[in-house]
Amino acid sequence: MHIDYQRAVTSSFQGRTGGIILGVVAVTALCGPALVGSPATPSPAVLQPPSAAYPLGTNDFGQDLFAQLVHGARLSLAVALGAGLLTVLTAALIGGAAGLARGWADTVLMRLTDAVLAMPAMVVIIVIAAYFQLGPAGLVLVITLFGWPGTARVVRAQTLTLRNKPHVLAARTFGAPGGYVLYRHILPDLAPILVVGFLQSARRAVFLEAGLAFLGIGDPTIVSWGAMIQGALRFFYLDAWLWWLLPPALAIAATILSFTLLGNILEALLDPRLREVRHA
Amino acid sequence: MLRIEELTVRFGAETVLDRVTLELPAGASLAVVGESGAGKTTLGLAVTGLTVGRLQGRILWGGTDLLTLPPEEFRRLRWNEIALVLQHGGDNLHPGLTIEQQVTEPMIEHDRHKPAAARERARRLLREVGLAPEKHRAFPHTLSGGERQQALIAMALANDPGLIILDEPTSGLDTVTRRDILALLHGLSGRCALLLLTHDLAAASALAGRTAVLYRGQVVEEGPSGKVLRGPRHPYTRGLLRAYPNMTTTKDLQGIPGRAHRTHGGHGGLHPHTHDYTHHPHPHGTHRHGPEADPATGDGRSRHRGCPFHPRCTQAVAPCPTTRPPLAGEEDGHRLACHRGGIVPLLQVRGISKRYGAVRALEQVTLTLYEGETLAVVGQSGSGKTTLANVIMGLTAPEAGEVWLEQEKVARRDRDFYRRVQMVFQDPAASISHRHTVLQAVAEPLLLHLGGRLQDHTDTVRRVLEEVQLPSDDLFLQRYPHHMSGGENQRVAIARALTLGPKLLVADEPTSALDASIQAKIFRLLLQLQEERGLALLLITHDLALARKVCDRLVVLQAGRVIETGPSDQITTSPVHPHTRTLVAAAPAFCSGCENK
Repeated sequence: MHIDYQRAVTSSFQGRTGGIILGVVAVTALCGPALVGSPATPSPAVLQPPSAAYPLGTNDFGQDLFAQLVHGARLSLAVALGAGLLTVLTAALIGGAAGLARGWADTVLMRLTDAVLAMPAMVVIIVIAAYFQLGPAGLVLVITLFGWPGTARVVRAQTLTLRNKPHVLAARTFGAPGGYVLYRHILPDLAPILVVGFLQSARRAVFLEAGLAFLGIGDPTIVSWGAMIQGALRFFYLDAWLWWLLPPALAIAATILSFTLLGNILEALLDPRLREVRHA
Repeated sequence: MLRIEELTVRFGAETVLDRVTLELPAGASLAVVGESGAGKTTLGLAVTGLTVGRLQGRILWGGTDLLTLPPEEFRRLRWNEIALVLQHGGDNLHPGLTIEQQVTEPMIEHDRHKPAAARERARRLLREVGLAPEKHRAFPHTLSGGERQQALIAMALANDPGLIILDEPTSGLDTVTRRDILALLHGLSGRCALLLLTHDLAAASALAGRTAVLYRGQVVEEGPSGKVLRGPRHPYTRGLLRAYPNMTTTKDLQGIPGRAHRTHGGHGGLHPHTHDYTHHPHPHGTHRHGPEADPATGDGRSRHRGCPFHPRCTQAVAPCPTTRPPLAGEEDGHRLACHRGGIVPLLQVRGISKRYGAVRALEQVTLTLYEGETLAVVGQSGSGKTTLANVIMGLTAPEAGEVWLEQEKVARRDRDFYRRVQMVFQDPAASISHRHTVLQAVAEPLLLHLGGRLQDHTDTVRRVLEEVQLPSDDLFLQRYPHHMSGGENQRVAIARALTLGPKLLVADEPTSALDASIQAKIFRLLLQLQEERGLALLLITHDLALARKVCDRLVVLQAGRVIETGPSDQITTSPVHPHTRTLVAAAPAFCSGCENK
């Protein structure tokens, strides 16, 4: 199937908006840290308002807030990407296996899913993150550990539906081996679900990472958007929230929004029935 | 009684009759049927000593071998003991003599009667055969074809022969005259033996106790007429019957692929691989042989080798072109010359049961589908039709029962199975992946079986699409199922199922989404494939009216059980089971006698 991704994304307002935002964040995350100074180096110039040297001023340690915002983008996106991919992979494996195998394997896997789903994820994540003083990698693992069941259930349900679709049955009557059926007929139809799952997980990861940092849980030396907000709260009486709190908050919101917008577009794109007819 | 043993007749290099062995007891009747040029007339002429060919073998008449008889004796025997009614014999009547004179002549010539007695007897015979007394003195050209035929029969009866050979006694007669002649001949049974040489299968079934099927000088099937003509075992006999218009069968007429006779140097057999797109070597050898495989089966000499029918046979196997099958006896004297034991049961479903919870979808379902046959499984929705199709295709595991393909139990369904068996699904649009274009969809089986890249199969895809009356331009090849109508999707699905050249097509309501006009075309195509290469169809439908036109046999399902099975005509005209009667009564029909409504 030939899809012109670029064209599909750029041809709609949603796609353009999401793409531009995520593009800006991604470029910032990739290149930005090399261009700005160190975000953690303290300086005597504390609590400075924006200036030419410090576009967003400094915090109470005299650290460059703009540099922190730029470095925060890298962390947020890395966690989002890692958690998103790992979650979807886990969900696809477990949900797909349950849907294809059926029988006792299905039962075992689904009870496991229910068990994980029944746990209060937020509380457990907070406890684990606080106890182990988790870094970004640890965070990705923990988010994945509690993030996969939702998508896995949807994947399983979809797999069960797909395996009895006439076109899948038809492929079997051409003598197609199981791997071929999975790859050519089942996975493509799971793709929209996986994309949605990825974007949900990524969104959640951005949110969780920011939230945990805001709560001061985890490694306190890590520079992140959440940690910036947490630091800013103590100086609410100053005008500092304008350049200290608002930028990371907006960055978080914009990143999450971009994931959502792209999610809508990609979902429509992977399903030709939602695609507009392009015939002349 | 007449006994023909290993009779071979040659004209030059051509063998017209090849080791024909037949038996006709006194007073019995035997029909020899076959297409023009099968050697029927030569057989009649050989028995009456009139053929100019070189003869081998023996023709025993009451213990005497006629072939060793001097011509003088043969002449005495002719008319007195063996009479011959020639094809278009009316033309051979003497134009200058009256009918009565001509019937009288053989009696006088053979010194059987005094002239007066002979004339008296001639009149009686002519009355007996139904010729009105005022016509007795008429000249042949003033009589109709039927009347001349009656006169010839009277002539044949003149000297009370023990055997009358009738060559095409009904050809060229209108149906009413034909009926009268048949009644007349029927009245002769017991009085003398009848050897009927005809292509009129209905005449054979009405007159002859036994029927022999002659193909290119060889007897391929012989047995009681009822069995041979209603339950033919040889593919040729079935082909002959399918091509024969009659008031009994309801299926459309079908021909036999290829020609019985070759033009010089031409390939008289099947058009090679017209519909076999894959050119697979068939592991079971049921594929036909292209021109390269049978370089010289048509000329007279090679006729000795192999089964005469193999170039046109859709189920020929390795020994067919090289070894002649013996005319082997079966139970009740039904003899057959076929290496495969007659038409092969292609698909056998034995005692299949399937439940869904408390619902019995299938209960001990057993059915057989023969090579080149159409079998319809009819029944209401929920009678288990689709489940049966899925069980055959291996998409649903039954609780009990077995599926056999080409007389081998299907243990696992591998590619070899699916190359021979394909299915058209009930919901054609859904059976094509919505991610696949027409090209991708139709090429999928080819890619799976032959490998290669998509582009390698484009030409094949175009060809099958054209066969199912679809466009094959690039624009159409790039269409997605949701861009097409239900009818187009259905035909794409059918085209896809045909790409591998299967022997059996399981079609689950294959034309439910189509207009009647396109449905008709699709079935013409499927029946043409059946004619050309013995495609067997398992048609799953609720449409009895359709089934009756395209199917040889019907199986009626009710609540997962087979309640009735038999020839389509029999089930649709005289159903036995009450539920079948309901289905027949509910089938669409035009109101008769209400043209003024």
